[in-house]
Amino acid sequence: MTLPFTGADWSAILPVSAIAVTALAVLIADLFSGRNDQRYVSIAIALLGTIVGGILAARQFGQHHDAFFGGYVVGGFTTVFQEIIVIATLGSLVLYGALGPAQRIAGMTAIMLWSACGAMLMAAAANLMMIFLGLELLSLGLYALCGAVDRRASRESALKYLILSSTATGFLIFGSALLFGATGSIRLADFVNPVLAMNPLFWLGAGMFLIGLVFKLSLVPFHTWTPDVFQGAPLPVTAFMSVATKAGALAVFARFIYAALPADAVQGLLLPVWIVAGISMIAGNVGMLAQHDLKRLLGYSGVAQIGYILVALAGGTPLGLRYALYYLAAYAFMNLGAFAVAAAISGDGEEGADLENYRGLARRRPWLAAAMTVFLLALAGLPPTAGFLGKILILASSVSAGYLWLAALLIIGTAISLYAYAKVIRLMYETSEGARQALEPFVPLAWASAAICAVLVVAMTFYPLTPSNVLPLVR
Amino acid sequence: MLLVLLIVVAPIAAGALIFALPRNDRTISRGAGTAVAIATFAMLIAARDAQWSVRWLSRPFEAAFHFGTTPVSFWIALLLALCTACAVATTRVARTRDFVALMLMLEGTMLGLFLARDLLVFALFWDLMLVPVFFGLVGWGEHPATAWRYFIYNFAGGLTLLLATAAFGVIYGSTDVIGRADAHLVGAWAPWIYAGFAFAFLVKAPIWPLHTWMPPTYGGLPSPMVSVVSAVQSKAGLYGFIAIGLALLPDYVREYADPLMVLGAISLIYGAVVALVQNDAKRVVAYSSLSHLGLIIIAVASGNRIALAGAVVYIVAHGLFSAALFMVLGYLEEREGTRSLLRLGGLGWKNPRLAGALCIAALAALGLPGLAGFVGELIILVGVYQAGYVWPVIVALVGIVIASAYMIRLYQDLMNGPEVADVPVRGDLTWLEGLAVAPLLAALVIVGIYPVPLLRL
Repeated sequence: MTLPFTGADWSAILPVSAIAVTALAVLIADLFSGRNDQRYVSIAIALLGTIVGGILAARQFGQHHDAFFGGYVVGGFTTVFQEIIVIATLGSLVLYGALGPAQRIAGMTAIMLWSACGAMLMAAAANLMMIFLGLELLSLGLYALCGAVDRRASRESALKYLILSSTATGFLIFGSALLFGATGSIRLADFVNPVLAMNPLFWLGAGMFLIGLVFKLSLVPFHTWTPDVFQGAPLPVTAFMSVATKAGALAVFARFIYAALPADAVQGLLLPVWIVAGISMIAGNVGMLAQHDLKRLLGYSGVAQIGYILVALAGGTPLGLRYALYYLAAYAFMNLGAFAVAAAISGDGEEGADLENYRGLARRRPWLAAAMTVFLLALAGLPPTAGFLGKILILASSVSAGYLWLAALLIIGTAISLYAYAKVIRLMYETSEGARQALEPFVPLAWASAAICAVLVVAMTFYPLTPSNVLPLVR
Repeated sequence: MLLVLLIVVAPIAAGALIFALPRNDRTISRGAGTAVAIATFAMLIAARDAQWSVRWLSRPFEAAFHFGTTPVSFWIALLLALCTACAVATTRVARTRDFVALMLMLEGTMLGLFLARDLLVFALFWDLMLVPVFFGLVGWGEHPATAWRYFIYNFAGGLTLLLATAAFGVIYGSTDVIGRADAHLVGAWAPWIYAGFAFAFLVKAPIWPLHTWMPPTYGGLPSPMVSVVSAVQSKAGLYGFIAIGLALLPDYVREYADPLMVLGAISLIYGAVVALVQNDAKRVVAYSSLSHLGLIIIAVASGNRIALAGAVVYIVAHGLFSAALFMVLGYLEEREGTRSLLRLGGLGWKNPRLAGALCIAALAALGLPGLAGFVGELIILVGVYQAGYVWPVIVALVGIVIASAYMIRLYQDLMNGPEVADVPVRGDLTWLEGLAVAPLLAALVIVGIYPVPLLRL
């Protein structure tokens, strides 16, 4: 039997393959590594392989190729999303440097790499089968990762995620089936046919497909799982979920709304999504107010942040997509940085997610506190961070697209969020007696990650976005 | 010219470097802070007409990192450098090193605001200048809730400013417009954009009924920082009205002048009356600020050229005397451990230099001829009257009368009368403290006698 695929098809998935093979290498190397260096061998190989994958993906920038009968699209859009996923994976892998039981690190990093492959497939997927394949590869890995430590909360998190996420996947696959029934094709590009705008089956299918995606993006009203799952999952997994999963789902979402909807159906089909995005910006930020756990806080924060990104997409303009990508990249660095700080103040066995651990941090570890302040200011959209520029770009694009009500909701949501972020900042700079005195240990990998993220979050603000610099992303 | 950029970056960078000093250092950081502030003062004079610009965004609108003074902002920036230098020189708070670093960052971010020639850069520094004050309130403030109130109010203003800036950029196509004579925006959106700007400016000034963050903030901040905040940061809103409202959206400032005047007049009277009954010395000055800024809002709303020139003089004058008042009250509080008017009294006999400094600042605040406050008030009133507004002039005159009452009450309760037994009267101003207040008082006299340079708009 001969496969009908050309060499170009295989080279298209080279970045994903490289990472998938790296996961195998991690597992094999683990068999031969001693008890003491187990952890660092796994992490080093995983980081190296992910970087290679990232370089291979970067080399595809500017190319264009529809591999596997148009199921896997190579192009600027794919590359940027894949790079963000690669960065998220790197940022999450380094957190294993201090956390988690050493004998399980190899398995956990390998599964995380495979999950990353799933997210990267989603970023490139241009037909329903590939989307589903990517989503399942991503999710299956995460179910295992969420429950990978011996804590009740962790097991609960895994079970909750498994059940709810499967339900959402059910919606997605049912929607896909209906879409296929309505169109007779699984290629997203075939959905642009204007005749479909009249077809109720198409509407139903697209609606259910979007519900499945909205769950993965954890937008209101499908967001309630996020804080619970985030809180229970191990810290590196939470970091990965908060960025990579969302980047993958966002890629599918963006490709779906930009390249797969008949022009007449766009307004009617997407208006509910924008309303959901608007509500998420408010509900996510309100939800943050009462949190006492950093992971829950960032879970709610993610709900709102994805809402902001969708506002950029609301105009349906290529420029809006670029701003969404800018903000997504900035969001990746802010979130990974915040998780790196959380990992840096974690002790053996306990994760530094409880906000009480941050009380008086500025006295004990001023640099960590300063880095955390940068991330929180960025999440709140204050200068001098990329969050500020990202927000003004989103505002500008939504104003010019006529979605002023979304811009107004964004402003209100941001005002609410400020309290929650500033609360953490105040805790860190408080000089009260109750704060713990013991110095947090120096964790080189997490510190380095936090430093890099902080520098990038600030530097991205001052990077001039001239036409040649704004990536010519979307086809 | 790169010097302009240096004016903004140098204080921020110096602030960051000061963190590298030993943790309990006092003298080096204080000296370095003063030196940097004086250096920015000199650089401002050297770079008065210079500009520096580099492209930032080209889509969805053009924006640039464009810095350079305008005729109005030049004086406010000078005032800022002067106030910072004076305030830092005598800083005596816990963790002096960190505090001085914050003061320098505050100076740098505010210089960025006043030197910004681009609306987006203006908006960036608008939010950025909140951060050092927030940290000041968290680390050295009297009550944590104050930090919240300050931050939430001003950040809400910052957000409407941001939205208005984005909308302005999208509609006009560029935000590189501050100080450009030809940039006017009209159209269906323009009133809303103006509303967004105006809300931010009114919160910052502050103006009744958006002022409630101000008295606790001014009361709670350590005196070196509050003297800079009240002298300069509150002027950001007024500067915004002049450089953005009147310059870019003049039609709408004129159209909605009446509500603005009413708000200004209410602030003027309300601030003055409340200042009359406060027993916390810092709050007296805080409410007097509310009153004085109301007068400037009236001047800006009239849109009259003379009133505007007066507003600039009064902005500088108010900056000088409120900085001097807060600094002197800070010295007083350090000595006596309280700033309650009920518990203090009769200090003037033992502390002639302290009393003299407070006296000059208070007299400037109540508008004594020969000092800067009088010049500003007089020119504003002439201009507002010339613009055809009679009732605001009458309201302002009433306010000025009440100003005399509360300033004299402040001075008398602190310095005159019988000595209070249980409050220790410690030493007079040291030579360093005197040296720190002297430039502000001297500037009050100079501007009072020769305000001509400030009037050339």
